[in-house]
Amino acid sequence: MPNFCLREVLLCVVLSLPWTNPAFAQHDHSSSDFEVFVAAEAFHGTGQTHSGDADPWIDADLVFGFTKHQFRVFGEYYITPDERDLERFQMGFEFVPETVFWIGRFHQPGSAWNTEHHHGQYLQTGITRPYIERWEDEHGIIPQHITGALFESRQSMGEDGAIQISGGVGAAPALSDEGLDAISLIGDNPGRHRLSVTGRLAYLPQYVGASGIGLLFGHDDLSVSSTHTLGSLQSNDAKVTLYGAYIDWTADPWRIVATNYYVDVALTQIARNESFMSGYLQVERQLPRGFTVFGRVEDSARMQKSRYVALFDDAGGEIVIALRRQALGVRWDFTRRQALTVETSHIVSLNQKSNELRAQWSAAFP
Amino acid sequence: MERGVSVKKFAATAVLLTILAATNPVSAAEQLVLIVSVDSKVQQLDSQEVRKLFLGLTVTHSGDRLRPVLNEADVRVKEIFLQNIVSMSETTYDRSVLRLALIQGQVKPVAYNDIGLLIRAVVADPTAVSYAWAKDVAHDSRIKVLRVLWYD
Repeated sequence: MPNFCLREVLLCVVLSLPWTNPAFAQHDHSSSDFEVFVAAEAFHGTGQTHSGDADPWIDADLVFGFTKHQFRVFGEYYITPDERDLERFQMGFEFVPETVFWIGRFHQPGSAWNTEHHHGQYLQTGITRPYIERWEDEHGIIPQHITGALFESRQSMGEDGAIQISGGVGAAPALSDEGLDAISLIGDNPGRHRLSVTGRLAYLPQYVGASGIGLLFGHDDLSVSSTHTLGSLQSNDAKVTLYGAYIDWTADPWRIVATNYYVDVALTQIARNESFMSGYLQVERQLPRGFTVFGRVEDSARMQKSRYVALFDDAGGEIVIALRRQALGVRWDFTRRQALTVETSHIVSLNQKSNELRAQWSAAFP
Repeated sequence: MERGVSVKKFAATAVLLTILAATNPVSAAEQLVLIVSVDSKVQQLDSQEVRKLFLGLTVTHSGDRLRPVLNEADVRVKEIFLQNIVSMSETTYDRSVLRLALIQGQVKPVAYNDIGLLIRAVVADPTAVSYAWAKDVAHDSRIKVLRVLWYD
């Protein structure tokens, strides 16, 4: 594994060790913490499926946070054999409890899945994420990483419930030959980055719980920076507007996660704009002895007709854009903070069908 | 003579009760109490605030952000904490705290498995909030007991 820099992981862990010492924080009213989410995966697929960037055989996600009075700093550093990226880095001020104004690079709040699971595999029951929720560097078609300002608030409503509001404004990714290029905090930033406005409004039945139901919004102005993309799209600009609704509900031993997006793509140099829909439903059931079974159905409408979506499909014929998928799996939390998961799925892509089988070990440390 | 017998019976009963109390850790007088430093400005926290605090959410008092300190010095204290304070299984609690760390970098509560160190940590930090057996802090003038969280 020539590109996998284990020393970076170790360096981060070593640097974080003093933060975990309670005595470090006792006298200056500050506190800090770090978590490392690790996963290793085996993959087998029929047809022209491949594991690709979406499924590195091993990955580590380092999450660190620091709080002093009302100031907060938070980051997420993701490492795979092929990628090392500061996925999120946010500096925030908490005006009142659970109302924070952040600046930095963040995951756009209009994604139901990614704002819950981010890059940490262990807290995600299944191995795969829905295709519509893929990251930009996995041929994702919805902008996910925004650099700018984010406002988040959770306020009590009724006896136990809460209203959650999130809104982000910043620089959207640019559209290049490789797909969406989000602003990188530690690398080069080719292309022009235009405005992104995203948001979420949700009702939480329990202030401290994970269940919620809500509405999602995103509007990204994507500049086209290459002649190849310009030729395919026949437009030097794409305005992607997303409207969505989601539910993530836990009623032990059941959990349901369902999301539907309507995506409108406005192109400047052709008369007809595009729109498509994509959604998914995941049902999970906890069983005794740490087992959880889960199934997910993904479906879409009009994606195959979209010139914008076609930009993200792989020229080699490998499956990167799925129109439909059915996934089924079982997870076993065999010890504290470690799990084994097996997932099988059937995929219908823009031009072929295939089956996949995955096995994964995931964990969180310390 | 009768008075002497009565005194002996009383003394025997007292000795028996003392022995029972000493040998049985789940005595009728057991109380788990919410504690802060005597220098803390906190006078009271309701159940919802205590739950939010130990789940890793922000709870402030007089402008100070409170810091939860977990007592893991005793298995039974941990059980009572999970059942009566956060109302979750150990796995669900662990995942909730991890989830908040992943979503917005919230700092996990600090845990102590030595009651002496825990009390020292609470005494040293006026924003620290923890819980302990009443008997462990009853005569400690550095500790302020806010209220009883659980009793048997």
